[in-house]
Amino acid sequence: MTCERIEELLSAFLEGELSQAEKALVEAHFAGCPNCAALLAGLSRTQKALTDFPELEVSPDLQARLAGIPERKKKFSFSFDFLLKPALQPVFAAATIFMTLLSFYLFNPDKKNIDRAINQKVHSGYNQVEKLYAKAGSFTDRLGDSAENVLVSVKNWKIFGGKEDEPYK
Amino acid sequence: MLVNTYSKRVFNLAYQFAGSYQEAEDLTQDIFVKLYGALDKYDFEKNFTAWFLTLAKNHLIDTYRKTKWEKAHRDEFDEQFAAPEAAQGPEHNLIQEADRKLVWEGLNRLAPETRMAVILRDIQDKSYEEVADILDLPLGTVKSRINRGRLQLAKILKDRKEDAHDL
Repeated sequence: MTCERIEELLSAFLEGELSQAEKALVEAHFAGCPNCAALLAGLSRTQKALTDFPELEVSPDLQARLAGIPERKKKFSFSFDFLLKPALQPVFAAATIFMTLLSFYLFNPDKKNIDRAINQKVHSGYNQVEKLYAKAGSFTDRLGDSAENVLVSVKNWKIFGGKEDEPYK
Repeated sequence: MLVNTYSKRVFNLAYQFAGSYQEAEDLTQDIFVKLYGALDKYDFEKNFTAWFLTLAKNHLIDTYRKTKWEKAHRDEFDEQFAAPEAAQGPEHNLIQEADRKLVWEGLNRLAPETRMAVILRDIQDKSYEEVADILDLPLGTVKSRINRGRLQLAKILKDRKEDAHDL
């Protein structure tokens, strides 16, 4: 085994996690390599030193500061986290597009012409709607007349007891 | 409740990691502020202690990266770390105290992730599985990281011993 490989196995060796075969190989290496043996001793002392560090007590001042945190948090509990919800992303995208188009309109040097064009479009559109509405009205009237004629003609059929010779209105 | 249960543990973790008592107090306070802000994100199916220590670990390492404490010195090794019992004679205790001093200062030479892994395993006495859970790393990575950190510290002790012999 090389010294590099031994280094990789040192912790496992100290913690007794190696198989018997590996353990024997490592021990054989230590017998012939004082450098690795010294490193093992150093590792053992390191672990001893680390485990001997005592736990420190929290100072009363820090304890009081920590106990005061929840109340402070309640006072400023409003959060803007909801703005990061994925569900709002399409809304933000649409708002961005709308604002971009609006800025093109508001800051365009040719704004008066745009206003005029929009005005014309709106008026012509309004006229078209009015015409369409009028047509729809006359169509409804005609449809009503036709329905009445059909009703009268059906009533005049002999099977319903009418006179077929009676003229349509 | 949370403060009573976890303040000592978090403060000690911060102190062992940062090496400064004053810094550790400020970091502990920051960690608890973060905890209260993140409580609504806690998944009740997870182990709370591991989740909280992960949050603490993230804050400590992030702050370390921003402030680079390695430029600052750790607190002087003092009587706070004195040997618990004088069981094997004064000379042996002096050696152990010298080792603790070197290891305490040597912790600053470890990369933050390695330092955190060594502290959790060897000072805080967590199992490898718990350390892997807190660091959110595979078990094998954690074991090799801890071994690497210990070796770095062991080499400091070994070199110091060789220097002492050379004198």
